[in-house]
Amino acid sequence: MLYIEQLRVAVGDTLILDGVNLEIQEGEVHVLLGPNGAGKTTLLMAIMGMPGYRIVGGRIFFRGKDITNLDVEERARMGIGMAFQKVPTISGITLRTLGRLVLEKRGLTDALEETASRVNCLYLLDREVGKGFSGGEMKRAELFQLLLQRPLFSMVDEPESGVDLDSIALVGQALRELFERDQVRTKKRSGLIITHTGYILEYLNADRGHVLMNGRIVCSGNPRDLFADIRERGYQECARCER
Amino acid sequence: MKVQEEYLRDLRERAEKALAKKAPLGPDIDLSQFYLCSPRERVEDVREIEDQLKEAALYAGVELEGEKAATYLQVDRSAVYERVQRAFQGKLEIMSSQEALQKYPELLEYWWGLVPVDADKYTAFAELCPTEGYFIRVFAHTKVEIPLQACLLMSERARVQSVHNIVILEEGAEANLITGCASVRGNESGVHIGVSEFYLGDNARLTFTMVHNWGEAFHVRPRTAARLGRNAFFSSTYVLLKPLASIQAFPQVFLEGEGAQATFQNIVFAKGNSYIDLGSTLVLKNKGCRGSSISRVCATDEAQVFARGRLIAYHDEVQAHLECKGMLFSPRAQIVSVPELEVYGAPRARLSHEAAVGPFEEEAVNYLRARGLKKEEALSLLTQGFLNLDLPGLPEALRRYIEEIIRVTSRDVL
Repeated sequence: MLYIEQLRVAVGDTLILDGVNLEIQEGEVHVLLGPNGAGKTTLLMAIMGMPGYRIVGGRIFFRGKDITNLDVEERARMGIGMAFQKVPTISGITLRTLGRLVLEKRGLTDALEETASRVNCLYLLDREVGKGFSGGEMKRAELFQLLLQRPLFSMVDEPESGVDLDSIALVGQALRELFERDQVRTKKRSGLIITHTGYILEYLNADRGHVLMNGRIVCSGNPRDLFADIRERGYQECARCER
Repeated sequence: MKVQEEYLRDLRERAEKALAKKAPLGPDIDLSQFYLCSPRERVEDVREIEDQLKEAALYAGVELEGEKAATYLQVDRSAVYERVQRAFQGKLEIMSSQEALQKYPELLEYWWGLVPVDADKYTAFAELCPTEGYFIRVFAHTKVEIPLQACLLMSERARVQSVHNIVILEEGAEANLITGCASVRGNESGVHIGVSEFYLGDNARLTFTMVHNWGEAFHVRPRTAARLGRNAFFSSTYVLLKPLASIQAFPQVFLEGEGAQATFQNIVFAKGNSYIDLGSTLVLKNKGCRGSSISRVCATDEAQVFARGRLIAYHDEVQAHLECKGMLFSPRAQIVSVPELEVYGAPRARLSHEAAVGPFEEEAVNYLRARGLKKEEALSLLTQGFLNLDLPGLPEALRRYIEEIIRVTSRDVL
């Protein structure tokens, strides 16, 4: 589904990612771990093709096609989607209006309210996108849009941050739906999730985990094992392990 | 009668003296380059109105065949169509202002009662060379929920239309008035002078929406003022989305009665070489008066926009706010925000302003693109949101038309 080869990404004049290799197969969901400033969000932004994240080396393939030089909306139309950590305020545009547009892109007109209801966003529909949303509301609104968008490959940046414990189950369930984890036979959707706490692993049985440090993936393996090691020994051990 | 004749003579004398008086703001227009517009035949049935006029009216927000409480259509010099829906007959009046002056001589009390006839050459011209205008009166305690509409069209080349409108809402009356002004042939040059005086009695409420749709060679000089009684409410929304040569207007609202409230919203998409100088003045005179003046301006090409706001407080217990937000799409476009807050003998009055002018939010554009929207779709959506076009009472066709203009304009910008 996604294949990344020796990816180097700069933001401004600063090189953030320096030779990332990653492969995610169809139906697989991977988690990305790493200390603050490691470049996790940069990797997601670069895969999404967000301007400002300049690819200075390497290539990104999506479903066999080199997308390194495609712009963000082309990647979105190919089936890549993202729930952002930081959401801009869209003045004067309600979540309902944006949701409707996203649905229209799929040729659909209904399912808006039903989907909103599943992620407890009904009461947010007539509010301006991003304006005055709490951390949890922001996450749910982002997942709501991804559920409407139904990307083949979804990236989610810290789904549990700012979310109270009651809502984590809701977020977890939304992720299961997004990745069709309850439909084993048709499991085709893939994704990459950044997590700091690992809580989300309680709800989503991720297939593989990666530790990103200093702009490179330094370790990969079973996500629960990785988490257990990091909890016990910290990220510094990962760095030493690399050596 | 003698007193009235003297009053009119005095007005004319003052106007004659002001005929060469330039307005303090906006480019000066040589009115001698324009002819007075021509008279038109009156029609009794809306079906007799030419399709071209109906279309021009629609693009200025007026659905001539729609269900409205009352309709006034003026083309060039003449009021060609007036109608009050049966359910509202005896509850409100709509007619040409000249006809109203003949019918009600006491109306002179309101004639130039708020806008000085000698304010500048344009007001003077409107008095000396009048070309009708509308008179609307909603009788006391009448609540008109369905909008009233008035449409002023110009169909000739190099003409000047100088209308004088009077709107009176008696005590406790409520109405929603949509006024559309447009040139039927978009490319012709012309001048539109519109004097409008609004009188709102105690507890009256008026929601006033004005849409302009002129051509690139049109100069527009509205001269507007309103007086509000106790607990009266006046909301004025002005929409300008098409290019014109110039417009300069600085309407004034006098909040005279206790608890009076006024709000202004200016929604402007400035294109081409348009010179746009728009503002509003709120004069807060009594206890509990409140007001706001909000401008949303997008400017592209070489358009120049001045967004003015002036708040004047004469009482301690008043509160008002100015807000100007501008979005620039071109390095040659210009938006100048000019706030003025004045307090006279009322140190506890609360007046405030905020202004922000800048480019569109790149981050928001990219966020929407990540949802699969094309860049021009994202920009169009952001512009629509910024201009916040959720205006009450606008015909659906106009709303769609406005969205289409913004969509096309955004695409052109890219």
